[in-house]
Amino acid sequence: MALLDFCRLDEKINLKPVDSLASFKNDVIGYSQNFINSAQLAIPPFANPVETLAQFNTKDETGREIKIEFDHGTTTLGFRYKGGVLLAVDSRATGGQFIGSQSMKKIVEINDYLLGTLAGGAADCVYWDRVLAKQCRLYELRNRERISVAAASKLMANMVYNYKGMGLSMGMMLAGIDKRGAQLYYVDSEGTRTPGKVFSVGSGSVYAFGVLDSGYKWDLEDEEAQELGRRAIYHATHRDAYSGGIIRVYHISEKGWVNISNEDCSDLHYKYQEEKGLKDDTF
Amino acid sequence: MSNINLQCLLGIQCNDFVMIAADQTNSHSIMVMKDDEEKIYTISDKLVMGVVGDSGDTTQFAEYIAKNIQLYKMRNGYELGPTAAANFTRRNLAEYLRSSTPYFVNILLGGYDKENGPELYFMDYLASSVRVPFAAHGFGGFLSLSIMDRYHKKDLTEEQAYEILKMCVKEVHKRLFVSLPNFQVTVVNREGIKVLPVIDSSAMK
Amino acid sequence: MSILAYNGGAVVAMKGQDCVAIATDKRYGIQAQTVSTNFPKVYQMGPTLFVGLPGLATDTQTVFQRLKFRMNLYELKENRIMRPKTFSAMLSNLLYEKRFGPYFIEPVIAGLDPYDNQPYVCNMDLIGCPNEPEDFVVSGTCSEQLYGMCEALWEPNLKPDELFETISQALVNAADRDAISGWGAIVYIIEKDKITEKHVKTRMD
Repeated sequence: MALLDFCRLDEKINLKPVDSLASFKNDVIGYSQNFINSAQLAIPPFANPVETLAQFNTKDETGREIKIEFDHGTTTLGFRYKGGVLLAVDSRATGGQFIGSQSMKKIVEINDYLLGTLAGGAADCVYWDRVLAKQCRLYELRNRERISVAAASKLMANMVYNYKGMGLSMGMMLAGIDKRGAQLYYVDSEGTRTPGKVFSVGSGSVYAFGVLDSGYKWDLEDEEAQELGRRAIYHATHRDAYSGGIIRVYHISEKGWVNISNEDCSDLHYKYQEEKGLKDDTF
Repeated sequence: MSNINLQCLLGIQCNDFVMIAADQTNSHSIMVMKDDEEKIYTISDKLVMGVVGDSGDTTQFAEYIAKNIQLYKMRNGYELGPTAAANFTRRNLAEYLRSSTPYFVNILLGGYDKENGPELYFMDYLASSVRVPFAAHGFGGFLSLSIMDRYHKKDLTEEQAYEILKMCVKEVHKRLFVSLPNFQVTVVNREGIKVLPVIDSSAMK
Repeated sequence: MSILAYNGGAVVAMKGQDCVAIATDKRYGIQAQTVSTNFPKVYQMGPTLFVGLPGLATDTQTVFQRLKFRMNLYELKENRIMRPKTFSAMLSNLLYEKRFGPYFIEPVIAGLDPYDNQPYVCNMDLIGCPNEPEDFVVSGTCSEQLYGMCEALWEPNLKPDELFETISQALVNAADRDAISGWGAIVYIIEKDKITEKHVKTRMD
């Protein structure tokens, strides 16, 4: 110590422990932020996160390609009609052109009366749907009544709006039933939140809309509505390379949601071809 | 920036005819210059070509092909059938593609062949050509393709096919953020080429 | 995105005992949009000679036509049919002509030598570097998946029907893990005096 003092080294080098290392409490806060508050994510470690994140998808400073390819490509749809709300989705997850999964659940069962669909970044959607589920349950416990779809969608929109511009990518529909009846909302990571009658989200939505709009009317019977949703998704999976797998159909009425069917696209394709009287070898 | 995908071409082929529809909008940057542009060109007695793409290229290419096919008929005393015409068109497009002046055009080619009946060819600006029962170009085509998938059958009548095109246009009006108010329609069958009424919002009622 | 993956598609070829097989998918798409499900990329070039040209569809068609042209010239001049090995050399030569502006295809060749009946498979990169292995060759947008399937399924001296099963499973399952391949498949089994063409049912999504 004497030598140290003699050299007066401590004036030149900081030998004191760093604050965060000294304090266990800081550790807890620093390393488990979203453990304590799930809506609190680590802020991106660089300026202009949107542009900087975009660079990760192209090349690094040595010119090599780096791939952070989030799961994209989906077809989801939802519409309101006289019998409630109908949701239909595909189940394919792709990273680039590689098919990572053919059996994803793109409808999240938030509670018995509320469903959310996912499109865009798979991880983003799954995480925020789960946070929303927690918030909805807390609301229920605090207020002794179920949360309205309007409120739930507002919660979602507000949570993700805090991260606008940081690269979240999600387009979701929230569907459910509350005191005001069957409700359908569209929420996305840009901060849009809007109620509506007919929505379709994802890369295959253009194809789904074609079938959906041409067959939609308010007075659909339940079976007709289910078949319309299923068909719209089927046609989207046929034309859109990034949609496919299993077609899941959910229906929401006063009694809550029911999973109507989960059918393989392939089975549906050959069924519909047969109905049309086509062999599979037509050009 | 090109507006090739903001334009729209639709085509349906059935047992007895082939029907092509094209939007009639001619736009430059943010402006609509014209809404009664003709984008379907008559190539010969039973052959038509719907062309969308860069404004100069479309007319130049379509007329170049049309005149050459007419020249072929005069020289040889017989016409190129739809298959041969599609091949000729593709080859020209492909050769220009790798020149300093490529044509930036998407094409639907419809014709009636004496032996084989109606034929429809889909061709993009890269000059790949495929025979299809129905097809569409442009963002409007994205919305229309699934409608054709859903309702197309081989044994449709001309009236039914026209109705399907109307559904497609209705969808384009409803969902596409670009204004494509008018669609011209042409049908080719055993008798020859026939121009059908323009599909616009008043036709939808 | 690679220009080789603009239209999508896959081809695989395998050697068997006194036989070879080549298989192709049938999709023609423009990026994510499937336009046609009847666009095989394999062509018969001789009695026991096939070539697959997956890659950019326009070049699939152009190269096929130019190959056919050169091959006809050869056969008229020589008055004998072409060996697979010779065909490879010719294709390699054709591709290298465009060294500085290549055709965007990666060919696969499969055939039995018409003179000694030896099985032959070969693949190339887009500027014509040939590779002639003793087992199988793959090409197209799901080549990684195809390599995995072939490494696992292929074994020496497969009989024609076993070879059919192996190559079909390899192609179908590889394409099922690729977003832009599939939508139907065709398998050709090539034996000394017999060509078997089989259409394989696949997922259509």
